[in-house]
Amino acid sequence: MVSIHALERALACALDQGGDFAEFFIEDTVSRSIALVDGTVDTATTSRKHGAGLRIYDGLNSLYVHTNDTSPDGLMKLAKQAASAVGNADAQARVIALQESRAANLHPILQLPGTMDGARRSQLVHDAYRVAKAYSPEISQVRSGISDSNTHVLIANSDGLCVCDDRTYTRMRVEAVATKGTESQTGAEAPGAMMGYELFESRVDVEQMARMAAEQAVTMLHADFCPAGQMPVVIGGGFGGVIFHEACGHSLEATAVAFGNSEFAGKLGQRIASDVVSAVDDGTLPNEWGSLNIDDEGTPTTRLVLIEDGILKNFMIDRLNGKRMGMPVTGSARRQDYTFAPTSRMRNTFILPGSSTDEEIIRTMGDGLFAKKMGGGSVNTVTSEFNFAVSEGYLVRDGKITCPVRGATLIGKGAEVLMRIDRVGQEMSMGQGMCGSLSGSIPTNVGQPTIRVSSLTVGGR
Amino acid sequence: MQMQEFLNALFARAKSEGIEACEAYIAKQDEFEASVNEGEIIGYTVSAGMGLGFRALIDGKMGYASTQVLDEASIELLVEGVKSNATLIESADEQFIFAGSNSYPKCDSYNPALDELSAADKLSMVKKLELATIAVDERIARTEDCIIMSGSSMVRIVNSLGLDVSHEDNLLCMAVAPIAQQKEQLNSGFEYLVVRDAADMNIDRLAQDAAQIALDGLGAKPVASGDYAIVLHNSAATSLLSVFAGVFSADSAQRGLSQLRGKEGERIAAECVTLMDDPFHPKGQSGAPFDAEGVACYEKKLIDKGTLTTLLHNLKTAKKQGLEKSTANAAKASYASPVGIAPSNFYFEPGSEPLNDLLKRADGGLLITDVQGLHAGANGISGDFSLSAKGFLIEDGAKGRAVNQITISGNFYQLLRDIQALGNDLRFSFPGVSCVGSPSLLIAGLSVAGE
Repeated sequence: MVSIHALERALACALDQGGDFAEFFIEDTVSRSIALVDGTVDTATTSRKHGAGLRIYDGLNSLYVHTNDTSPDGLMKLAKQAASAVGNADAQARVIALQESRAANLHPILQLPGTMDGARRSQLVHDAYRVAKAYSPEISQVRSGISDSNTHVLIANSDGLCVCDDRTYTRMRVEAVATKGTESQTGAEAPGAMMGYELFESRVDVEQMARMAAEQAVTMLHADFCPAGQMPVVIGGGFGGVIFHEACGHSLEATAVAFGNSEFAGKLGQRIASDVVSAVDDGTLPNEWGSLNIDDEGTPTTRLVLIEDGILKNFMIDRLNGKRMGMPVTGSARRQDYTFAPTSRMRNTFILPGSSTDEEIIRTMGDGLFAKKMGGGSVNTVTSEFNFAVSEGYLVRDGKITCPVRGATLIGKGAEVLMRIDRVGQEMSMGQGMCGSLSGSIPTNVGQPTIRVSSLTVGGR
Repeated sequence: MQMQEFLNALFARAKSEGIEACEAYIAKQDEFEASVNEGEIIGYTVSAGMGLGFRALIDGKMGYASTQVLDEASIELLVEGVKSNATLIESADEQFIFAGSNSYPKCDSYNPALDELSAADKLSMVKKLELATIAVDERIARTEDCIIMSGSSMVRIVNSLGLDVSHEDNLLCMAVAPIAQQKEQLNSGFEYLVVRDAADMNIDRLAQDAAQIALDGLGAKPVASGDYAIVLHNSAATSLLSVFAGVFSADSAQRGLSQLRGKEGERIAAECVTLMDDPFHPKGQSGAPFDAEGVACYEKKLIDKGTLTTLLHNLKTAKKQGLEKSTANAAKASYASPVGIAPSNFYFEPGSEPLNDLLKRADGGLLITDVQGLHAGANGISGDFSLSAKGFLIEDGAKGRAVNQITISGNFYQLLRDIQALGNDLRFSFPGVSCVGSPSLLIAGLSVAGE
């Protein structure tokens, strides 16, 4: 990669025509994928992503430029282009002295993807296919795939920071389709981690995940449509945490809060959730999908309490919005890659365990919906209106789980739902997702124990 | 290395490794984006990007690899990548590297005048948009986003069989998301405009339309749950068609992932429905003279007065189904992706009635202007959807009070049959690999969850 001296010169050049702060983010990523459909491996790819992004801010005005050319000349050209956009001819020349460092590694990788042979990856996707297909004659199609990536980043800024880090991710996906006549339903599992192929020895049992995907598809094939209306809803643990991610998490990111575009702006220290709710955003959990060593501004990652016993404690804050808000950074600045300027984003975000048992939560709910597994969702942070899909749901009658139901959607307003959580279970688990927002698509974990919302609008027919 | 030097070295290396048929797909992009908040430029991005996808046919199997940097290490990665990836492929489907069509249609999608717009011009335009939006009404408190983007892109396909084709396009886009406030109530709106001629960028009109969407939604509340006659406004209809565009892919159908498998020649939609894929539609912005395999593009009907005429094909799926030719719908999500299938400009042919006439025919029903949650609440295989929605009650045959916090649920395949009329207000989505369009649709009924 590029020399320290070249970076120092380019940073100085970037601030040549004004600006308070300049930062390079240089990335080299090699990623691979393999995908199986119809019982045969159908595609396999290898991709190299390479480039540099340069951010300058001048007060609260910020600009971002990026290029594939990371040679010393390429970086100088980028710096000149950015400086000319700042365009203050009277600016003082700056001297930049970088202090080289390497991020402390919280997430050791045991089996780097690059060292894996194709035969083992092929075997894993075949195993998933075989088990899912054998689950039931109603399984008509199975798609399985693995993607992995190794990223090297270097972050250097005009304050003298110069830090590099390596990030490795591996993720597997299995989707099963169950068919009866013209009806089809799907089930999917997609576990991943900041890990290499030790993922398949320590965390992911491929046969079990394939069976779960197939079971979900077959269960939903025999389910009736979910009735529509308002009712109590119990949301299962793991990926069920997407409700907190959408209904609350995005509204606690500085990208929304700093501009007043969040219901929770100005409410630090106030009650925003019922007192059974405590939640954190934690980048330090070893080898989790949303974990980091350093964020994409080079700040070491943190564990951040968002809500404690219903009281709002912290926002997730990046450098520029921290300036805007007059608050310190929280190690939460993230970006998809060098083509995006970083901003405040979630990492591993989850509701902490409470005191109720799952059995009591269902038994005392009366009539309602048990949303065992959730699909994805989205939120409008201005109005806090969210929506998300239930991928596996069950009707509850008089405190007893009865029949499976399909096609349910949950909608509501984040601020209202947080106040209506009346039970939190004892066992927290997490699920993996890709979260899309201003700075692109990034890996995040969502999580929670089983929780109950006293009333939600359920879409169905 | 320069591009041509790199390509020469890459093809020479591939040949020396015994690779007979191979192809480079090069995509270049220049982009400018600026966003403004309360008169300050809060985002300003300038980028120049390049990506090169490489694929090779080795013992009948296609291996893929790609890079963003033209150096020796990348040549090694590309050649070794296609070789090792090809050995992993087990699918027996016949794969193709294409020598080229006899001729290519003209597809004029690059306007050099657009590139002359300076950064300063664009900054003053985006500032003007924010001011104009806030000036529409005193209840417009601020904007959540106010953006200008311009971009030009180039695609070139070069292969060992002698094909060398390229295509350029450029666009200018502005978007604004105003926030309307009335006492404690907030509502956000969003509208955008994509043009290829700066003279078509009507900033005042865009500001007015966006502000109106935010204002009209103030005071919205749910309706009672039940079945309602529905008018899907063109913007919501376009979103829905986008999500289900994949069911028209022959690849999905051949794998049993679309219920349209084997339905060619059958009635699948109401008689008033005609669905087009037209790379040259003047309002669509995703056209090109050739597809991602280098096959010459052409206009076609997918549904003709309710009857499915063809699915979307690339060379592989056409061969598999015994067809004479591809429909020239080979597509790549990016230069790094394998060849798949996607429509170009893909739209329901408009009818003759204005929106107001459709509303008269759905009295007591709902006008749905916005649907959310498409990436999770719509199942491309079963066709089922259950989506968060916003809109208006239809009262006395006209747009009435605002409605939010409801969901609409149904099935896309059934919806095609339940379309009773199409409006005359064809609108296209934001252009990407595809550009999807629809007029407003009158639908017999959908299930609504509310209070």
